[in-house]
Amino acid sequence: MRRAIIFAVLMAVTPIIAVGQTSHAPALALKDLRGRALRLSDYKGKVVVLNFWATWCPPCRAEMPDLIKMQREYRSRGLQVVGITYPPEEIAEVRRFVRKLGVNYPIALGTRETKSLFDDTETLPLTVVIDREGKVRERIEGILLPQEFEQKIRPLLK
Amino acid sequence: MRKSRVATLLGIVLMLALGASSVLAASKSVTIRVEGMKCNHCSSSVAKALKATAGVEKVEISHEKGEAVIQYDDQKVTEAKLREVINGTGFKAVEEKSATN
Repeated sequence: MRRAIIFAVLMAVTPIIAVGQTSHAPALALKDLRGRALRLSDYKGKVVVLNFWATWCPPCRAEMPDLIKMQREYRSRGLQVVGITYPPEEIAEVRRFVRKLGVNYPIALGTRETKSLFDDTETLPLTVVIDREGKVRERIEGILLPQEFEQKIRPLLK
Repeated sequence: MRKSRVATLLGIVLMLALGASSVLAASKSVTIRVEGMKCNHCSSSVAKALKATAGVEKVEISHEKGEAVIQYDDQKVTEAKLREVINGTGFKAVEEKSATN
C-alpha cells in the first residue's frame, strides 16, 4: 500500500518537474540595436544562449569576452548567442559598449518583462539555454562559469 | 607480541592526531574588500565564482560593507587566487582587512 502511494505521488510530481526544466521557450519579438526585428524563432534548430545583461553590471561585462569566444568557436556547431539588455539602459551606451568589445552576436533591447518570461528574480547576468527543439534546458544565474558551459551547453551541441 | 600491538596502535593514534591538526591548520578565513558591489542583483556572481573554486569552504558576501568573508583551505588555494577569482567577476578585490587561522 505504502509503495503504491509513493509511486502515485512520484508519477504525479514528475511531469511537473520535467515541464519546469524543459518547458518551451516563450515567443520573443524584440528589436536589435538598429531597430530591426529579432525573433527567437529566427534561430530555430540552433542551440540558443540568451544572455540577459546590462552595461552597469560588472559580471555581465566580465563574461562578455567569453560569450564572444563561445560564439566564434561554436557557431559552426549550431550555437547562437543572443544578448538581451536589461533596463535601465541607454541605447547609445549599449552601442558604444558593444562596438568597443567587438560583440559578434546580436543584441536585442529587452525590458523587465522580457526577463520575467524566463526568471522571476532580478539576478544579473542570467543565461538561458534553449535546445534545438526550442525547449528551455537551463537557467544559469550569475556569471557563466567555464564548467557550466562544459556541463550544460556543450553537450547540447552534439 | 602485545608490546608491538600497543606500539602499532599508538602509532596510528599519533598519525590520526597529526593528520587532524594539519587539516585544522589548513582552514583559514580572510576578509577581502570588494569594490563596486553596489548592485545586489549582480554581486551574487562573486559568491558563485568563489564557491566554485577548489579549496573554498564558505563564502559570505556583505553588500553593505562591500566585502567578502571567505573560509578556505590554504593547502588547496591561495589568497592571491581568491583575489584573482573576485577580479574575474568584474569587481575589484582591493585589500586584505584581516586574516585569521
